[in-house]
Order: sequence, then C-alpha cells, then structure tokens
Amino acid sequence: MTVGEYLVPRSLPEAIDLLERHGPELLVMAGGTLTMPLINEGIAMPDRVMSLRHAGLGGIERRGDVLGIGATTTLTQLLAEEGVPLLREAARNMASWPIRNMATVGGNLFTPSPGGDVAVALLALDAQVRLAGPRGTRVVPLADFHTGFMTNALAADELLVEISVPTTVRQTAFIKFGRKHANTPAVVTVAVALERRDGQISAARIALGAAGPHPIRVAGAEAAIVGSALEAGVIEQAAAAAVRECRPLTDALATEWYRRRMVGVFVRRALELIVEQHRARVAESA
Amino acid sequence: MGSKIVTFVLGGREVEVMVKPMTTLQAVLRYQLGYTAVKEGCRQGGCGSCTVLVEGEPVLACLLPAEDVAGQQVTTLESITPVDGLDPLQQAFLDASGFQCGYCTPGMIMVSKALLEHNPRPTREEILDALAGNICRCTGYEPIVAAVEGAAQAGAAPGAQRR
Repeated sequence: MTVGEYLVPRSLPEAIDLLERHGPELLVMAGGTLTMPLINEGIAMPDRVMSLRHAGLGGIERRGDVLGIGATTTLTQLLAEEGVPLLREAARNMASWPIRNMATVGGNLFTPSPGGDVAVALLALDAQVRLAGPRGTRVVPLADFHTGFMTNALAADELLVEISVPTTVRQTAFIKFGRKHANTPAVVTVAVALERRDGQISAARIALGAAGPHPIRVAGAEAAIVGSALEAGVIEQAAAAAVRECRPLTDALATEWYRRRMVGVFVRRALELIVEQHRARVAESA
Repeated sequence: MGSKIVTFVLGGREVEVMVKPMTTLQAVLRYQLGYTAVKEGCRQGGCGSCTVLVEGEPVLACLLPAEDVAGQQVTTLESITPVDGLDPLQQAFLDASGFQCGYCTPGMIMVSKALLEHNPRPTREEILDALAGNICRCTGYEPIVAAVEGAAQAGAAPGAQRR
C-alpha cells in the first residue's frame, strides 16, 4: 500500500487552497500519531495526505486574558506553558515523551474516545476553536465542536487552526485514571474548573473523557455544586449526578459498567482535591 | 505523483534518499540505509523501539514520514556509538545488565541520551517518565532504570562532564 502524494504546505492559505482543490478525500494530518498507525496498518489507504506540520500553525501566544494555542502546537510545548495549570496537568498525564514531541493540541480534538485528554481539560476551561476555510474564519465554542463519535462541526473545506483558552485564575483539578500509571488511554478522565466568590462556587465546569462518544460536560453535576461551598454532601450529590449523566463506552480497557462507577469515584476525588488545595491556600494566606 | 529525493543529516553526515510518498523514517533508516539499530516494533507508536532523535528530540521514526525530516539532524544509536568502544550510556546498560534480548535497547538508549542531554541529573521519577513509552518484555525495567541512573552518576551527558 502506498500513498499517492504527500502534501506539505508551508502556510495556512496554501493548506486551505490544497484542501479546496483536492476536496474531502484529502486526509489531513498534524502530528501523525493518529494517522500514521492507520496508514502503516493499511486501515486507511488515502490517495493524498496533507501534513500541517510546517504550515505555521504551531506555538502559543498570550493575548490579554486569552491564550491562543496554534493547532499544531505539540504536547511538549503545551507542557512547557505555565499560563494554565490545568493544561499542563493534562499534557503531563498524556502518552510518552516521544509521542508528546509529535502529537498536537489540535489533533487531540480529533482523537476518538477514550483518547483526547487535552480536549477534556480544554472543555473544562471553556475553550473556543477557530476554524478557517476559503470563506474566512469562524470561532466555535469547543462545547459545540464535537457532534458525535468522531464527528464534529468542521465543514469539509475547513481546518482547525487555533484553540483559545481564557487565562482567568480558577480552581482546577485534573485526574486521569488508566489501567497503568503512564502512557495509556483513560478508563476515565475528569477535568474540573471552578470559580469561587465569597467562599461559594459561582461557576463550575466538569468535563469527562472516556465517558461519552466525545469529551462531555455533566451539567447536573455542575448545577449541584454552584452556590455551595463544596461540602462533602454536595460533592456526593455532584458525583451521583455525573454517574447518571455520563454515557461511557465499553472497550478493551473497561466496560461501560465499570467506567460509570469510576466516573463517580473520580468526580468526587477531583472535587475533594480542589477542596484540599483551597484549604491549603486559605491556611497559607492566614 | 511519485518518489521524491529527501536530504537530511544523519549522524553528522548528509544523506540523500529517494522515497515514495510517506515512507516512514524508520523504514528509510533501517531498510534503505542499513541502520539496523532502528528497530521495527509495533509501527503504531506504542512500543518505542524505533525511537530516534530529530534535532536532538526523541521521536518515533515509525510515525514520521521521511519527507518531514528534510534538512534536519537525525541521530540513531549508530550515530552515538564511537568508532572504538562504547558511548558511556551503552557501557552503563552493559554494566547494569539493562537488556536481555536487546530489541528495545536502541530505543531505550536514544530516549535516555536525550534525557541526559536535557537533564544531566534526573530523578528516578524523571527517568521513569522519560522511558514510559518504551516497552521491554524481558528485564522488568529495573536494570534499565539502574543503567540510566548509573550513567547519570558517571556523568554520561556532556552537560554533566563540563561541571
């Protein structure tokens, strides 16, 4: 099996032009950690592949209260970015060093569940994605990007070019639970980002990975903690709500039954982690 | 459509290869250029056996189209092996019995090499993190970690020697 042509555009306009010219049959690749295994195995046999590696879409830029993360920024680059601790924590828990040197933040949004741990953190952070096509660019909340298992809001002639994340200081926690300690897909991933005002939770986002066809938020669990001071009983209610709301899959790593129970365990632990961190901060400032 | 000529720097020497579209760097190094330390393992990015350094950073050669390294520096185990004797890291793997069948060893050593370049005195945790993507089915990993610790103590990294 050989690929007919490998296209390596040197700029975004060139990439968009190639996509328009060759149509939806053109397979778009960034870091290659998802695509190359499929090509090596003969599962994907594309005529043409376009790499975005040299299209100038890598790198992180701070614009006021927003972090603009280029789509082909590697996970290693994300790990070095200190602006948003939750993203570092997600990157730190992902894959292995050589893979982190190749895999991209944008590519992570196309990773089928149970993969895509950065996407879970980005969802908790209320990230937005910028999509570019021949008619210009548009910005879509990440919450609206995924539409189903391996389907998304990207039009056939569009490319995902940037992910933007507000850098507002929040109380965050990230837990990835896998079958082994490192370099493994998740049984379940939990990312939490909370805002607190006068001791009470004023806004909450709880995102789960491997608990649905794509990274999902659990609105009932979020509602359970807003207005509270994260008392133990409230945390139990939120965990129970997350268990009811999640839609985990069964695969070689874990069954739907097991994942659902682990959602409860790890939503509770993530919220407890935030309580501990908050107490430590309060004690420090006292 | 068809083959392209790709030029890159392999172990300090410029090489030129003719490749079909998306031929992996692993296949080019091992089968076209005879660099047999670059093992073919899973071809899925899951085992780390094909790890090489591109511009000094560890990457998986089985996931990298050779066209992507045009103009870049590629380093394999062959590139770091002196004409006479062994690299201190290779010696450390020997001393600690950090291998049995040896299939994972080139990948292990290339990641360790990059680790010690970045961080001449890594903690045990840092070594474990760096090697998390390299699978060994023989040793149980302990001798491998001991080898990297030994190499760090002996000052295997150039950064460490300068001190």
